[in-house]
Parts: sequence; structure tokens; C-alpha cells
Amino acid sequence: MTAALRSLPTVFSIGLQRQLAYRWNYLLRALFSAVPLLVSWVFWEAVFQGKETVGRYTLAGLLTYYAVLLIVEAVSSPADDDFQISREIREGMLNPILLRPLPYGLYRGALFLSGRCAYLVAAFVPVLLCFFILSRVVHLELASFDILRGVPALFGSALLQFSLTLCLSLTSFWFLDISSLIFLVYSLEFLAGGHVFPLDLLPAPLFTAARFLPFAYEYWFPAAALCGTLSHREWQIGIGMQFAWAIFFLFLAHLLWKAGLRKYTAAGG
Amino acid sequence: MPYFIHLLKLWLIQLRYAITRELAFRANFFAWVIVELAWFVLQLAFVGVVYQHVDSVAGWNRYEMIVLVATNQLIQQIFTAFLMPGLIKLPDLVRTGGLDFLLLKPAPPQFLVSTSSLEIGPLANAGIALIVVLSALHSLAITPTLSATFTYLLLVLAGLFVHYALLLALVSFTFWIVQAESVLLGYYSIFQVARLPREATRGWFRVIFTFAIPLLLVANVPASVLIRNAKITPILLFLGTSLSAALLASLFFYLGLRRYQSASS
Repeated sequence: MTAALRSLPTVFSIGLQRQLAYRWNYLLRALFSAVPLLVSWVFWEAVFQGKETVGRYTLAGLLTYYAVLLIVEAVSSPADDDFQISREIREGMLNPILLRPLPYGLYRGALFLSGRCAYLVAAFVPVLLCFFILSRVVHLELASFDILRGVPALFGSALLQFSLTLCLSLTSFWFLDISSLIFLVYSLEFLAGGHVFPLDLLPAPLFTAARFLPFAYEYWFPAAALCGTLSHREWQIGIGMQFAWAIFFLFLAHLLWKAGLRKYTAAGG
Repeated sequence: MPYFIHLLKLWLIQLRYAITRELAFRANFFAWVIVELAWFVLQLAFVGVVYQHVDSVAGWNRYEMIVLVATNQLIQQIFTAFLMPGLIKLPDLVRTGGLDFLLLKPAPPQFLVSTSSLEIGPLANAGIALIVVLSALHSLAITPTLSATFTYLLLVLAGLFVHYALLLALVSFTFWIVQAESVLLGYYSIFQVARLPREATRGWFRVIFTFAIPLLLVANVPASVLIRNAKITPILLFLGTSLSAALLASLFFYLGLRRYQSASS
């Protein structure tokens, strides 16, 4: 196990080099991820015409939420880890990895981390620019920014998204093509995760139901924690739910991996 | 003219092949129908949430907004069925050198790249979007006239040109950037603009997305034709800009193609 842990920095470094080789791709991705923020800005400005608040949000509060989502996305969203894992299983590319004295989950974790680091480097300037432009137009509610509660929620979100991605991808042991499953989960993450609108704009019963699902802890919870709109009690419950879901998916991934390996056929020479 | 008939025949052969393939993987076909439907439900849910708090957005009430969103979905799904699957394969073809095989075929490269793949599944969702449009119109107590219906269909076609122009231009970046998978994310991100009511926009945003990249016209003009009997000026403007956008994207594609160097030995 010690040897495995010692090799992780090397895996991370290789992953980082691979990611930075396609830095233009990352830069484009970061730039395009700012477009939904622009669209939200225009749309919500029209919604707020003649209104001070919508739900519990002012226009500035809502735009702060969308801007903070860019940070959450940069830190915690996997890029194409799901498709990479699926390809490794489907095309028999697991063979060399299985021969290494390194658990697959740790190996993918190091690659996920390197991908996030590369993306953060590429996204840093575009995200900063978004905040700068927005702050020139509306008074972003940054005074209530809560780093102490936000940072653990961000890491929890990264762990949750990684573990969920791992579970989805490992179904490739049984299915030829899992892209439809991946996109279906994306749509749930967008709606029930608070990517399209903050979940507290939902009617109360739906909001309560959404907080029992894992998706709320991928985007809405870390964004709300960073924005400082959660009470200490809400944060405590949220972080507990977030880590509980992450541990559940990691355990599920472990089971899927063990069962999947029994089905795996090493294709290729 | 015989040349166009030749291309049409080629396209029909590819369509037949696509149908055969989809029928061979029926589970996959239904899975994708459900996925696309989920994304459409997501958009309608967003409309539902917003209109819980307000009665009107930029002069569009709930059902008018549904007509707008569903019209956008209709155009996008037709595009996803016939043109998008081929276009998104271009980055991979350029990176692996697989474009060589297309360039050797006796048909224009742009035609082959655009039509090399087809998917039938999205047409089911286009049908659902059309039903949503009709149901929203019913809620608005509007029965479209024959001329409004014809104009609507013509404008849906113009909308396809804009979708096509944008994605063709984006995937053509692959001739300059080796890995251009992010362009698909770019397409989906930029096309969110098409769901905005045009009246909600102003300033440079409105000018750019009306004249340079006419996304604000894609669903707005056809939806307005059904709801409000749109004036002739925006209709002509939309037809003109959509054709220009498609022509410019085509020029950009051929400019990029001149840079193409086969990756194989």
C-alpha cells in the first residue's frame, strides 16, 4: 500500500502533463462555461423587471450564486473521466493498469485531481474576468462569502462527483455504451443539483425532496455554503449528507469494481 | 440539377443505413429518446419555476414562453437528427487522419462531413416538442392560420441553417486546435441564447446575437409568427442572416480544410 501511495504523485504528474498538452481545449471549455452565466444574467434581469426579490433572492444575490457556480464547477466537476474509464473497460485497456500495484480507484483519483488542477489553471483568468465584469454591473453579494464553510463543501462536492462518476463508468463492465446513462445523470445533476436555478426557488415540498438526493450536494450546497446563505445547522446537515452520499458511492464503486472484474475480458494483445 | 439529385440520392442511402442501424440497437434508441426528453423536461421545469414567481418575462407569459422553448427544442432535435452527428465527428477525423477517406470520395467534403452520420431518435423528441407547441397554443386559444403554419415551418428551416452554421464553424476550429472536443460544449452553451425572449435583451448583446450570430432570431421569430403574427421585417432579416451565417461558416470550413495534413502514413 505504501508503494501504491508513493506512485500517486507520478500518476498525478503524468495526468497533469497529458491535460496541459491540450490547454487550448481547457481554455475553450473555461470560456464556454461562462456563457450560461451571461444568459442567466440577461434572463434574470428581465425576470426582476419591477421586482425587488424573487423567492428569497435579489438580482445581485442570484447572480452571485451563478458566478460562484463557476468556481464550484472548476473545482469539482469531472471533465471526461467517465468516458475515459468507460473506454478503458470497453477496449480492454485495463490490462496494463491491473498489472500495476496500484488500486484502480486511487489511480483514477490522482488523474481526476490532475484534471481539476489543469482546469483550474486554465479557468482562473476567465472566472476572475467574469467576477470583475459582473461586479462592475451589479453589486455582487461577496461580503457574506463564507470560505470556512465553503471550502469543505467544495472538497465534499469534488469527492461526491468523483465517486458518482466512478460508479456510472464502472457499469461499462455490463453495457456496451453508457453515454446515454451518463447524459441522463447530467440532466438530473443540472435540474436537481441547482445548476439551472438555486434549489430554494423550488416549491417547499420539492426543495425538501431535492435535499435528500445526492445531486443537491454537487452544486447547490457548495455554492450556497460559499455564498454564506446557509445557517450553521443547515451547513452541518448538508456536509453530513454530502459525505454520507460520497462514502455510499465509493462503497458502491468498490462493489461494482469487484463484480465487474469477474466479467472483464482482456481484449487486445 | 442532376448533381443535386446525385447528392440527394447519397443522403437517402445514408438515411436508410441510419434507420437500419437504429433498429438494430433498439434499446439504445429508446435510451437516447429518454435522455433528450429529460433535457427538455428540465427546460420546461425551469419555465415552471420562474413563472411561479412572476406572471410575465419581457412581455412573454407562461404559455408563450413554452411555445418559444418548445420551438427551440423542435429545431434543435431536427438538427441533432440530421446534421449534428456527422459534424461532431470532424475533430476525431482530423486528429486520426480518418478525413482522408472522406476526401477521396466523389462528393463535396462539406456535404460528406455534414451527412456522414444520422440519428433517428431525436425525431421522436422533435414530435414531442411539436405536441408541446400545439398544446401551449391551445392554452393560449390560438389556432394558427395556414400561412402562419407555412411561415413557421420555413423559419424552422432557417433556424436549422443557424444551428448548422454555428456548429460547422466551431468544429472547423479543429483544423487549428488538435483536440477540439470542447467545441460541443461551446455549441450547447452558446445555444442557450436561443431560448431567451428577444425583448429581454438589449445593447451589444442584442446586436451581436441578432446580426453577427442570429441566435436571438432562431426560436423567437417562428414563435412570434404563431403567437403574435410577426411583421415581415424580422422574418426577412432572419432569412437573410441565417443564409449568410451558413455561407460564412462554409467558407471558414474550407479555409480550415486547406490546413489539413493527413495524420496517417
